[in-house]
Amino acid sequence: MGTDVLLAEIKDANLRYLLLTQQMIRDDVDTAMFRLGISKKIADLISGLSTAQTIKLASSPSMLMRFRFDDATILGMLTHDTKDLFQAQAHAAILLAAQPAVEMH
Amino acid sequence: MTKKTKSILNESKDIQIAIDLIKLGARLQLLEMETSLSRDRLISLYKELRGESPPKGMLPFSSDWFLTWQPNIHTSLFLSVYKQLKLNSDISEISAIIKAYKLYLEQFPPEFGEEPVLSLTRAWTLNRFMKCDMLTTAVCKSCAGEFISRPLMKRNYVCGLCDVPSRAGKTQKFIDATNAARQAAA
Repeated sequence: MGTDVLLAEIKDANLRYLLLTQQMIRDDVDTAMFRLGISKKIADLISGLSTAQTIKLASSPSMLMRFRFDDATILGMLTHDTKDLFQAQAHAAILLAAQPAVEMH
Repeated sequence: MTKKTKSILNESKDIQIAIDLIKLGARLQLLEMETSLSRDRLISLYKELRGESPPKGMLPFSSDWFLTWQPNIHTSLFLSVYKQLKLNSDISEISAIIKAYKLYLEQFPPEFGEEPVLSLTRAWTLNRFMKCDMLTTAVCKSCAGEFISRPLMKRNYVCGLCDVPSRAGKTQKFIDATNAARQAAA
């Protein structure tokens, strides 16, 4: 994949992420915050963006969303095949649900 | 005048809460305790939504149920979601229960034609057991996850997913299905 194509894909993913996030927050802010793992302040900030601001933010060459399975334990549970699927998913869900929401600094 | 307007607003909020609760399978006792609507109105709302009278009888009241293997996993997930919602959002307890329960159902959807392992009424009684210290949570020393436990089980706790009991999940139905699959393969 050429760099131009790659950057276009990243911008596309960013924009879709922001639009989906805004939709989720509009539907039900509490549930959206849980699903996204973000705090109220960040939710307010994202939902308050104008269309122009959203597009501007999306056109960053870096991914805007962070990989949430940053804990080796959780990632291991989902990818190791020692447990049956239900148990692996249940375990990962319990640990992920308890992760603190991302806050603004 | 303002008082009257306010009470109508509250009533409409209560009706919305009651609708959510009934749709998710709540028992009448729960509806009576969580809303200020009269018993008669709740019964007619129930009939309108479900097309049948609410079931009679007592609420499930065993706290031991939450400690058996499968219920413990289901309920611990519900509790983690509930706590996270209460921590980050400024919502009432009952709204947090409703939203957490919906998220729980997404994670563990019941099999076709079956009831969910954790019913809404049980999820709600969990809250009451925790408030009177009959149940608490313990942190697993292996995965650091938080699981429902008895107050005295907190030390050196290992959860049911890090240390899966050999018979876990092996219900008669599961054994039948496995045997059937073996026979089909043979």
